[in-house]
Amino acid sequence: MVMACRVINKRRHMGLQQLSSFAETGRTFLGPVKSSKFIQDEECHESVLISSAVRLLENLDLTNAVGQLLNEAVQAQNNMYRTGTSTLLFLVGAWSRAAEECLHLGVPISLVVSVMSEGLNSCIEEVVSLHVPIRNVFDLTDNTKTFSGLETFNVSLFPFLQIPSGTGLRQEEHDLKDVTSQSLAVCSLSGRPVKSPKLFRPQAKVKTDKNTSQTPQVLKNSLLADTRCRKSVLTHSRHFSSRDDNQWISKPDGFLEQRGAAAPKTYRCDELVELEVGLSHGDHSSMKLVDEAVRLQCQSSGMQHGSSSRPFLLDISRIFTWCLPGLPETFSCVCPGYITVVSITSTAVIKELQHQPTRVVLIEGDLTENYRHLGFNQSTNIVTVSESTKFQQDSLEELWTSHVLQVLIRFNVNLVLAQGSVSERLIEKCTQSKRLVIGSVNSNVMQAFAEASGAVPVAYVTQVNENCVGSGVYVTFWRNVPFSASVQIQRIAIMLKTEGMNLVTVVLTSPIPAQMQAKEDRFWTCAYRLHCALKEQKVFLGGGTVEFLCLSHLQILAERSLHKGNQGCSEWLRNTSSWLASSVALYRPTVLKCLANGWHRYLSTLLCNTASYSSECEASTLIQQHLQNAVDSGSPLSYILNEYTKLNSGIFNSGISDKLEEIPRVYDIVTPKIEAWRRALDLVLLVLQTDSEIITGLGHTQINSQESEGFLFL
Amino acid sequence: MSRLEAKRPSLCKSEPLTSERVKATLSVLKGVVTSCYGPAGRLKQLHNGRGGSVCTTSQSAALLASLPVTQPILKILTTSVQNHVSCFSDCGLFTAILCCNLVEKVQGVGLTTTTAIKLNKHLLSLCTEYLKSEICGCRIPIDFGSTQLLLCLVRSLLTSKPACMLTREEVEHISTLILRAFLLTVPENAKDRIILGKSIIVPLKGQRVIDSTVLPGVLIEIPEVQVMKILPIKKSDSFKVALFCASLSGDLSETGEGTVVLSHGVSLENAVLDQLLNLGRQLVSDQVDLVMCQKVIHPSLKQFLRTHGVIAMDRVGVALMEPLSKMTGTQPIGSLNSVSPSSYGSVKDWCTAKFGFKHFFHLIPNETTVCSLLLCNRNDTAWDELKLTCQTALHALQLTIKEPYVLLGGGCTETHLAAYIRHKTRDEPESILKGDGCTQTELQLMSEAFCSALETLAGSLEHDGGEILTDRKYGHFWSVQADSPSAVNWPDLLSRCGCGLYSSQEELGWCFLRGAHHPFMPQTCLPREASGSANDLTLDCFTAKLSGLQVAVETANLILDLSYVIEDRN
Repeated sequence: MVMACRVINKRRHMGLQQLSSFAETGRTFLGPVKSSKFIQDEECHESVLISSAVRLLENLDLTNAVGQLLNEAVQAQNNMYRTGTSTLLFLVGAWSRAAEECLHLGVPISLVVSVMSEGLNSCIEEVVSLHVPIRNVFDLTDNTKTFSGLETFNVSLFPFLQIPSGTGLRQEEHDLKDVTSQSLAVCSLSGRPVKSPKLFRPQAKVKTDKNTSQTPQVLKNSLLADTRCRKSVLTHSRHFSSRDDNQWISKPDGFLEQRGAAAPKTYRCDELVELEVGLSHGDHSSMKLVDEAVRLQCQSSGMQHGSSSRPFLLDISRIFTWCLPGLPETFSCVCPGYITVVSITSTAVIKELQHQPTRVVLIEGDLTENYRHLGFNQSTNIVTVSESTKFQQDSLEELWTSHVLQVLIRFNVNLVLAQGSVSERLIEKCTQSKRLVIGSVNSNVMQAFAEASGAVPVAYVTQVNENCVGSGVYVTFWRNVPFSASVQIQRIAIMLKTEGMNLVTVVLTSPIPAQMQAKEDRFWTCAYRLHCALKEQKVFLGGGTVEFLCLSHLQILAERSLHKGNQGCSEWLRNTSSWLASSVALYRPTVLKCLANGWHRYLSTLLCNTASYSSECEASTLIQQHLQNAVDSGSPLSYILNEYTKLNSGIFNSGISDKLEEIPRVYDIVTPKIEAWRRALDLVLLVLQTDSEIITGLGHTQINSQESEGFLFL
Repeated sequence: MSRLEAKRPSLCKSEPLTSERVKATLSVLKGVVTSCYGPAGRLKQLHNGRGGSVCTTSQSAALLASLPVTQPILKILTTSVQNHVSCFSDCGLFTAILCCNLVEKVQGVGLTTTTAIKLNKHLLSLCTEYLKSEICGCRIPIDFGSTQLLLCLVRSLLTSKPACMLTREEVEHISTLILRAFLLTVPENAKDRIILGKSIIVPLKGQRVIDSTVLPGVLIEIPEVQVMKILPIKKSDSFKVALFCASLSGDLSETGEGTVVLSHGVSLENAVLDQLLNLGRQLVSDQVDLVMCQKVIHPSLKQFLRTHGVIAMDRVGVALMEPLSKMTGTQPIGSLNSVSPSSYGSVKDWCTAKFGFKHFFHLIPNETTVCSLLLCNRNDTAWDELKLTCQTALHALQLTIKEPYVLLGGGCTETHLAAYIRHKTRDEPESILKGDGCTQTELQLMSEAFCSALETLAGSLEHDGGEILTDRKYGHFWSVQADSPSAVNWPDLLSRCGCGLYSSQEELGWCFLRGAHHPFMPQTCLPREASGSANDLTLDCFTAKLSGLQVAVETANLILDLSYVIEDRN
């Protein structure tokens, strides 16, 4: 056992360089227009199509220490928030370059660490002023505006570059309002609001027909949207449109308020659709599904509690995604209840069970004879002998199966859901006696059924008693899915529902199986964004505004500390007694500028990725221009807000301002964004402070064969 | 078939310390520990080079635990430091660096080993006597009536571990939590003997540090499914608890070797289950409200208990057993046969709580001496470092309650101590030598080596190329930018001393630590008001540092004393 120790911080900082080169690979994932990548395995010639930072890092071979730390940071962000990973990856690269720049300029490492982390803290405090409160988005029972009506309005990437898109569809939306004014609208695939389907009415067939007939138009629409997106089309705030006096003040609670001629009007987001469009970041198709899921959940929770006073939250754990690769995009939809596939042999059973409430039993583990609960150690040395020969070896399973069946009959149970696998023999037997057994059910689904049907999940069938049995579950056929893959040809899709259950199944389809995972990821990203926004009750004004404010804030801080000198700087250091505290003033502007460069790089890449600018250089110049203006104006915040206003009142004032009122803004979610920044900087600073790598447990020979240079042995 | 192999002769090396190879490895180790030292210390990435998890740390406990060293001399060093760390948690790097410095400096003096060791021992006792005496100028007594100094101690500990990645605000938050967690472990009505409780660190990785919190009692993580099964609480002042350490899963783990033959129709599983249900009946008739089990409870038994209004909590884990039994006053039950009513305990209340994505069952005790510290940090490696730091801080507080003193940190204790020893050995050498055959010249030489080992240690706090000064009044540690002109007005360049007690407003007579200077007597007897006024002092744990000093000197003596290394190569 030998310890090898490699000094990684000799002339150039290897760790930082590794970080920035890893991060460079994810540059194209920044912003709403993401270019996909193929990753090919040289050895087995397998390839994957990826379009997110998480999947990228998952598929890269990151065996070195820095790569692993990077992967760990991105995974942690993803597990926590499901969004912000591309930002995290990009900022890791941008800031590790910034840190390297500082080292080149001779700034002591400890100072880089303290000034950068305090600089980011200061940014985080600053951007509080861009919070937009969300209030009562579910208040209006007459909330007829549907997501689809807005889908052709693409979302801005940068507030200063907004160009209005065609407003043709607006009219159509207004017309539709009348049709559905009394009920909560649920979108069908066509984008036309239809009345919410009455539960348990088999209407799948009708729906399918409607869908197929309208497919071409929808496809055209989404194609249109795509091309527009590339050209960066944009939108405006209705709140800025008709005011003459545009003085913005930041209220003490951190929320924006416009002080106009009339009574102060708080800047806020009151409509679900507006919020959703703002959070979709260009991914309308996914957000549309989320919207439908929210409305279904809202509906069922309304049914449960009446009009409850507490704000409605999107319950992520009650959304279940079901992927159907090989089907056209238009088959994607959202349905209340649980959709799954069963063998075609069960058709008769389902026909039997349809239209009547069924009693259900939930099994926590496998439903097989030899299954034992977790933590049960089966003894291997027990042999059962029998005196008579009539008991065969396999009779044990036979006995068990008939016992299970007896229990099901006794409690009049027609439906069994098991989390694990189910014995084939049992399924067969149950089918014969008109009972449906479904295995491999997701634990969240089980939980939802337990809550809604009153069933108590048990580990063994022997535990079943009257209190464990749930009731009121309805089984129906789901639409006729043309399963293309030969494997699924013997299967049919069914839907399970219970009154008051807020479980929603999102069916995701993609004609290209390779895109399936990306599609599912994108759906969850949108769902988590909305969930988070509703939970936090606030969002950021998005589209690069937040980052731009950080950039100009740092710029101002840097300039201010150039003039002011050492005043109040010692607070910026962890260890105030060190000489570093007194030399902070000397280096602070440099470090802050490097940090700001990271934001600059972020914004120009964002602009460049949206293809509105041909080169990063061009984008960078534009940002530089705005930055100069913002800094000169003295208050970057009011500059940013005024830019919004100018856009609306100046260029597009005549004629269309009334329509612009309806056009949504872009929003970002608060905590995940800020956490992504912090994680990115934490990682960079962690690597920056690392001066050696200690490899444990390797023999001399193993290291010699690789690269013995720079290793020291103990 | 066994194979016989001729024994190889053992390898014997004389004077191991003179070997170049040993010197080189010793200096590598010294470089590793020195570069980690202090709040500006550099971090180390520890990993196995084959895709194992990466640990980024600057703490001796994590560092030495995964440093497999082969050199016998390094082994002596790392083992004694690890021993110290396992007993005192803090000051591991201090010990390791001081030991390396001492070995190096004493070798440079050129005295015979016996003399050097003898004198080292004298100097050590001079140090310890001074540090323990009332006149000590670098020690502050702790008044438990105020939290200020205790907070400073915890804060110093947290800031000295940069791999925790905490901002200033987060340091404040965690320091307060640690202190609160510690105070919750102190029993309220203390008699003549205090038995401290326990604070359990509950991991909540991925959340923001600021979301960390302290709760009295024990948190047991439970799956979401179980939350629903927890019954609404009955009104009562206290609840009866049974705690099992035996598995109630219903398996036959001890069937022994050989085969058990059963005739058809006999089910051992059912027999065991019947036994479990009998146990359940007894628990119900004893009016137990809550059954907890370290391992698994059979689902049927759980169901039985639930239908009788008893909450069953399984898979509690071995780590929680001791705090649970302490908190509830239960005797962990190890058999299924019969339960003596005396083994039951009680809790005041319970509830379920959700933190992050995790659900917890929260047990609230009658008298709080057990608490749970829910610790959050952004990533795994920073969380691990933070956890270790919190444990160290909690331990340091426990040690402080035993010996209610703290030492000045930030290098001030070391430079002060060095100044004191220099002065003492020059001023009253006879009282130190006590006539045991060493000359005064030898004492001067050794004291110079000893003091410069201490001062080099203090200088290791500087990692960005600054220079170290000391003042001729208090003998404290001051840092200044490199290449500062020596004739400048020092108070303009300096701000505060290392520990933060003194500011540069006073004329203190600064000089470079490395340069030769005349011995002076640093001011002893810390003024009483000094400790009260400053609220941002850097402090060290008294007990841990004192032990570290002793371990370092004794280990250095042991290493210096080695004349042969005999290696068994079989």
